[in-house]
Amino acid sequence: MTPLTIAEAARLIAARKLGPVELARELLARIAALDPVLNAFITVTERQALTAARAAERQLAAGTKHRLLGIPLGLKDIYETAGILTTAHSRLLADNIPTTDAETVRRLRAAGAVILGKLATHEFAIGGPALDLPWPPARNPWDPKRFTGGSSSGSGAAVAAGLVLGATGSDTGGSIRLPAAYCGIAGLKPTPGLVSRRGVIPLAPSLDTAGPMAWTAEDCAILLETLAGHDPADPASVAAPRVAYATGLGASLKGLRVGVLRRFFERDAPATPETLRLMAETERLLRALGCVVETVEPPPLADYNAVGRVLICAEAYALHEARLKTRLADYSRAFRVRVLGGALLTAADYIAAQRRRTELIAATAALFARHDILLSVPTPGAAPLLTEQRPDDGFARPFLTTAANVAAVPSLVVCGAFTAAGLPLGVELMGRPWDEATVLRVGHQLETAAGTRARRPQVAIE
Amino acid sequence: MAAARPAAAALTPAELGVLLDRAGLTLNPGQVADLVLVWRQLAGMVAQLPRDRKLADDQAYVFRLPVPDATPRHAAPRLAAPRLAAPRLAAPRPAAAKPPARPRAKRPPAAKKKR
Repeated sequence: MTPLTIAEAARLIAARKLGPVELARELLARIAALDPVLNAFITVTERQALTAARAAERQLAAGTKHRLLGIPLGLKDIYETAGILTTAHSRLLADNIPTTDAETVRRLRAAGAVILGKLATHEFAIGGPALDLPWPPARNPWDPKRFTGGSSSGSGAAVAAGLVLGATGSDTGGSIRLPAAYCGIAGLKPTPGLVSRRGVIPLAPSLDTAGPMAWTAEDCAILLETLAGHDPADPASVAAPRVAYATGLGASLKGLRVGVLRRFFERDAPATPETLRLMAETERLLRALGCVVETVEPPPLADYNAVGRVLICAEAYALHEARLKTRLADYSRAFRVRVLGGALLTAADYIAAQRRRTELIAATAALFARHDILLSVPTPGAAPLLTEQRPDDGFARPFLTTAANVAAVPSLVVCGAFTAAGLPLGVELMGRPWDEATVLRVGHQLETAAGTRARRPQVAIE
Repeated sequence: MAAARPAAAALTPAELGVLLDRAGLTLNPGQVADLVLVWRQLAGMVAQLPRDRKLADDQAYVFRLPVPDATPRHAAPRLAAPRLAAPRLAAPRPAAAKPPARPRAKRPPAAKKKR
């Protein structure tokens, strides 16, 4: 069966043409067949999933309506789940079983979603694919020799391969958007404070966000409607107005002003020729949709990256300081490389980074005075080979995605095209703080215009 | 824009050892090599951050406290009134205007004591 989107499955379930138990069983069988190749899951919760699916069927029979009722989802394994192993893909939490759900998990369960399991991640949402951990790294469904992107690696792989219809991720420097780009799916990093982080294992609290990943922008919008909302128990949560993100995705884009962050992908982190062709085509499609598209000049990408790296290093090191002194060897090499530098940073370095961040937030906001959307790419090219991944990635060359984290703006990646070798390429759309609705609307219409959603990876079973 | 700091010099092994001791970390040679590699790159990023600012330009930690609510939903339990009220300090009185100086009456010279 061709994997469904959340929107498609919700329609079929509401029309009683598909049952939650039938759908859950189908995906569990798909996981059993394909996950030995993809390593997307750390824990598959078959028994709990079928129990939840039966409960969803009873709710349907009772007349309950919700677009997530009976929809199978996966959770990045940094989202705490009551009674279910939550490892952060780390030896240090190999036996960790939380007693309460993360707030986002509670909301998804309350909406009737069916949780199929916990998904692979980079250790504690940083680092890279590691071979010195109890669980292997996730693999890209488009080519299992290739990197999924991270750190929401399992989420990207599971959605792309149709093992789940949607997933949760987290994004501190690009960890939703990088796997969205490399796995050819949609991934949204929301405005900080929109989605509760309570019960999500932190990496760098100044920059951490939690958000949805799915096959389409529309599906991300459906998930966001449940995930978003004030959580009084999360001190970083903001009481923003509730928005129907999945409504009005088809509204006209005529007159919408798009600023292209050309220097990012032409000078600061030069993109491949195929990516440059994708951007030219994306600009053409946006103009055809009625947008006004022009080049804008942001601060250098290196400035955003320097702030992001210093903050992440300092805060991640502070979170893990005690355990790094006593259990250093239990962490993966990739984690140690990316975090230990925090031990050498001074308080003045950290404050300098926070001060520069304030300036970059203002400079990015100034771009939004004349533009509704900023357009860029999340990666210079398609997914590299897993064997090419270096522990010091992110230091050796700047991450394009970190700009949106530092600037504290929402950012969506959607699949824009495919390379000649059949690998997906993403485009990145950033919006004003709290304007996820516009970002999702543009992403939805761009996906439709680009015609990328009909093409799925064919995972060969070993 | 405020001036950036010059790039940090590479750490000598002795300097790195002092910093690691201070941090309470014990690394094997491979881990030290990884740290030296990353530190070179991270130090370069640190050097890019502006440092030279006016003392008044502090924008780093702007935070807003919630506005006090007249009818809080989750009111903190009220503290019992203290038994021994702290002595209230008298409000300082404004300094009274000094009267104009009067000329002092001359005293007769004191009689010398005979020793």
